[in-house]
This record gives sequence, C-alpha cells and structure tokens, in this order.
Amino acid sequence: MIEYVLLLLGASIMVLGALGILRFPDVYTRLHASTKCDTGGAMSILIATALIIPAPTMVKIKLLVLTFLIVMINPMVSHAIARGAHKSGIKPKGEVDMYARDNP
Amino acid sequence: MAGQDFLVNPLGWTILVLLATSFLLFYRVLTGPTVPDRIVGLNTITTKVVVVIALLAGFLEEYFLIDLAIVLIMVNAVGGLILAKHFERRTQHD
Repeated sequence: MIEYVLLLLGASIMVLGALGILRFPDVYTRLHASTKCDTGGAMSILIATALIIPAPTMVKIKLLVLTFLIVMINPMVSHAIARGAHKSGIKPKGEVDMYARDNP
Repeated sequence: MAGQDFLVNPLGWTILVLLATSFLLFYRVLTGPTVPDRIVGLNTITTKVVVVIALLAGFLEEYFLIDLAIVLIMVNAVGGLILAKHFERRTQHD
C-alpha cells in the first residue's frame, strides 16, 4: 500500500514542478521549482518502483544507487547553473520586500 | 507489454504522466527568454527521462535498462556542469 502512495505522491510532485517551471518569472525561481520538486519526485518514484517490482535484491539495490546518484547530482547541477547565471549578470525579478507590497 | 496493459498498471500511468509533463516543459526549452532557462528545462527533462527509463525497466521486466539510466544521469551531470561553466566563461570575456 505504501508503495502506491509514494508513486502517486511522486507523480503529483513532478506535475507541480513542471507547472512551477512554466509559470515562475525568472531563472532563480524556476531553479527553485525544478530542483526541489524534481529531486523529491524522482526519489519517491524510484523508491516506490524498488518496492513494487518482483525482482532480485541486486536490482533493487541498483534502483537505490540510482536514487542516491540523483539526490547527489541534481542539486549540484542546479547550483552550477545558478552560479553561472548570476555571474553572467542576470538579476532576479522577484519582489523581496513583502511588507511594502502588502502595506502600500 | 501491449497497449492495453499500459493503462491498468500504476507504473504505466506514472510513465504517461511523466511524458506529459516533459512535453509541457518543451515550451520552456523552446521559448526560454535566456539561455539558463533553456538549460533548466533540459536538465529537468533529462531527470524525468531517467525516471521513465527506470520505470520502464520495472514495467517490461527488462532489468538491464536500470544500468542505462545510471549512465544517463552521470552524462547529465557532466553535460550540465560543462554548459554552466561555458555560459559563465563566455559572458565574462565579453
């Protein structure tokens, strides 16, 4: 039962991450949506697959190794992209002063 | 393995959802305002393709596809790092 809950959770997290990448205003917020949602979704979907499939233990260990690699690699690439974008002069468009926005 | 088995299996449904979100993300890759937007879209699509390959390995019971997914995520790491470094270097020299 827990594996189907994990599968549904991962699929909905993936859909939310794709919507965030489509709708957010600039590179940094899109990276925020991409990294968190994609890493979490991939993690839960792969763990659910390792629990569902009727396979030898070696195959399940391979799926867990793939999960570990995604968890290590995806934030590293996102950090490199954000660093390159900031060094090339792209400014964030997001509004940080939330108090001034709420109380004009 | 046939077409009607695809819609009664939870792994098949998850594969369809991931493919649909990948096609949604092609909008960001094609019409991104800047180059890092396109890189973000490509990175996300590659992660989704890795997950789709792992799910397909469980769905078809062809377990060598998991090795292929591990190789693809490593290539994605090297490619993403090199794209980011190239972007950084190119705009510093201008």
